[in-house]
Amino acid sequence: MKDENILWQIRHFVYNHFADTTRPPSVEETAAHFNISTEEASELFKELHNRHAFFLEPETLTVRMANPFSGIPTDFKVHANGKTYFANCAWDMLGIPAALQCDAVIDAVFTESNESVQLEVRNGQLTDSQSTNSQLLIHFPLPFARWYDDLVFT
Amino acid sequence: MLLFQSEEWIDRWCKRNHLERGEILTINQVWELSKLWYSNRLSADFHGRSLEQVAEVFRQAGLTSKFWYIQK
Repeated sequence: MKDENILWQIRHFVYNHFADTTRPPSVEETAAHFNISTEEASELFKELHNRHAFFLEPETLTVRMANPFSGIPTDFKVHANGKTYFANCAWDMLGIPAALQCDAVIDAVFTESNESVQLEVRNGQLTDSQSTNSQLLIHFPLPFARWYDDLVFT
Repeated sequence: MLLFQSEEWIDRWCKRNHLERGEILTINQVWELSKLWYSNRLSADFHGRSLEQVAEVFRQAGLTSKFWYIQK
């Protein structure tokens, strides 16, 4: 039985590291922060992955997704609090200002047409550079019951 | 989840990828969903959601079609 207290402290550390630095901490940085062994931190990373608290790159201990944050560059860039974050998808590009609870400018790319669009969240309101945001659409390819079958595709 | 300019572009993408059309929401609907889904994500107290809690978020966001059905 894993220590539930440190497990959730590590989840919180990973998320706040993303918020503060735009990238996930390594397992070594996490071990050093909590003054635990790298092996113990590794086991806790795997447990959090298994519980869908965040998601590791396959066969590694690198955090790929701590939704809404992405550990790798994507077509969804979110500029907020003087930093630039990458979001996992079109939903998560809105999730970052929601999670940070701040204003943001979002540079995104439309799928299929490959045109760029800029969106802005200001004082809780969403607008876009084409002034047509009510008509912009987000496609959810899979129903909720299948979201975790293949998270990268979802 | 991907961003599109119109339903025509979604249909084109689905056809090219041999996929059925999923659920389409306006960006403002997703913004409202995002605030419900992510506003407490950085909290130390957030330990994930039960299926009942997920269902409640979807209900509050007005997502009540079969697509959002949760088998408990």
